[in-house]
Amino acid sequence: MSENKKWYSLDLGLKNKKESSGSCGCGNAQGSCNSQKEEINAEEFYEAAINASIGEERHRDGFEQVFDVKMDRRSAFRKLTASLLIGAGAISTSCSVTTGADTKEKAQIDWEEQFKGNYKLMTDEEKQGTINRLMRSYELSTGKNISMTAENAEEDVLFGYAFNISKCQGYMDCVSACVEENNQDRNSQMQYIRIHEMKDGEGFKFDKADDNYYHEVPAEGHFYMGTQCFHCDNPPCVEVCPVQATWKEEDGLVVIDYDWCVGCRYCMAACPYDGRRFNWSKPEVPENEINKNQHYLGNRMRKKGVMEKCTFCVQRSRKGKNPACVEACPTGARIFGNLLDPNSTIRWVLENKKVFRLKEDLGTEPKFWYFMD
Amino acid sequence: MRNRKLIYYFLILLAVSFFSCKEEVEYHSITDKIEAEQKPYHGTLTSEELLADTELIKITEGEHIFFIPERKGQIKSFACIECHSKPVAKMKGQEGQKAHWNIKLNHATTETINCATCHNGNDMNNLNTLTGQNVDFNLSYKLCAQCHFSQFEDWKGGAHGKKVAGWAPPRASMTCVNCHNPHSPAYEKRWPVQFNTQKVIDREEGLGH
Repeated sequence: MSENKKWYSLDLGLKNKKESSGSCGCGNAQGSCNSQKEEINAEEFYEAAINASIGEERHRDGFEQVFDVKMDRRSAFRKLTASLLIGAGAISTSCSVTTGADTKEKAQIDWEEQFKGNYKLMTDEEKQGTINRLMRSYELSTGKNISMTAENAEEDVLFGYAFNISKCQGYMDCVSACVEENNQDRNSQMQYIRIHEMKDGEGFKFDKADDNYYHEVPAEGHFYMGTQCFHCDNPPCVEVCPVQATWKEEDGLVVIDYDWCVGCRYCMAACPYDGRRFNWSKPEVPENEINKNQHYLGNRMRKKGVMEKCTFCVQRSRKGKNPACVEACPTGARIFGNLLDPNSTIRWVLENKKVFRLKEDLGTEPKFWYFMD
Repeated sequence: MRNRKLIYYFLILLAVSFFSCKEEVEYHSITDKIEAEQKPYHGTLTSEELLADTELIKITEGEHIFFIPERKGQIKSFACIECHSKPVAKMKGQEGQKAHWNIKLNHATTETINCATCHNGNDMNNLNTLTGQNVDFNLSYKLCAQCHFSQFEDWKGGAHGKKVAGWAPPRASMTCVNCHNPHSPAYEKRWPVQFNTQKVIDREEGLGH
């Protein structure tokens, strides 16, 4: 492991277990593991912990507080509360003689995961590290293997999407393909895509459109159009995120680090297209339905209290595949490709069909165009 | 001496401004960005692996060069002349097993189209155009293009139809008959594949938007 990591490492004694078989995991040969801790009482410990993290901030205000701190508030609070919880858990498991190696490894992984940095700032090595831990963690807790990747944005690629309103018949094959591909919560029936049934001759009236119809389609006198995350080039959701847990990648995908998201839902409020979804409860997917080909920024399992949304199937698109909705559409209404490649079909659509985008006047610059035959 | 100093200052200023300009360029709109940064893609991502299992043929239509799936190998009873040893007119009314009894032409009206519009009764292994020229079964899109010329234009460009596999080059597009049954090309009405019952509940409770 490299020395200049952005998070703390906790050695639970897994490596030197053989050498010091007589002692416990914390490395203390004599006395109990907690012996050092007992020397200071709870109040002193609390005081010291606060001093160590936000001590200076307590007698500063305004400008100084924001610009002249050694550590940002977020990490301070995280370190304070989380380390108390996880540290206590980790130490107790590592010191216990009865817990197995698996539990200790799990505790080690949890520790490292808790204090890892923002994915956006990670080096490729660190990205590999975190996906390895996540895969191992899944294996330890379920006994099953998943494959997770962390492909970066490819050079000279900018993803874009086109949707043919004349072709969509409202079958919703895209919606179910999306749910299956992206491991969305089955309990709350979360869906990234909405297909709106609109009356002919009335134009785009989302308030009058039905996005949850159930009758034979296409219905007489109606047309259909789909919305999802448009991966804006000027995304307001990214702008409002207070912790920079969501950002725009080089290939134009607007992504979320589920482990950095604090669940404030500002982005949900900022999105003018209803592109974002929130996990109000712990997402549940039956084990046999889990898509095990995952990407860190894509369809890996989310947790309670974080945002998620369409990623143009980053786990597929960064391998050259089409997103699941494009592949599932039986009518060919969905076109996906590289906007920077003048020979791509999406470029032909943009240059030769009459295209438009939703709420173009907001200046969000969606990379999702609508067109008609 | 003073002059020289001034020149040095100027050079430093120039260097600083040069390096500081290397930041990410801002574009006024996404179309400007595409225009400025476009470049034919020859990167590491390709669809070749995804297409490995599909037999493809290369076609050139106008300025568009791309692949379509091979067709003849997919037709169950090809080659047709294994049964159609004689012209259709001579085989009609003969005793023997009936074939293709399930094919019902549901494509335009009988005033416009009958079997012979596309099939060559004298050479069943080939299709024929309106002017009676032979067309290979693999290139059946040429027949469709005789009437559906606007769809043909869109298909060539990539606005109509689907890709066989991924977005990355090389481009392989489904041909007409991969999605449309040529004898009954329209898409039929059917039920949506799913219904979101939770959305209904949420909205009744006023939680939805």
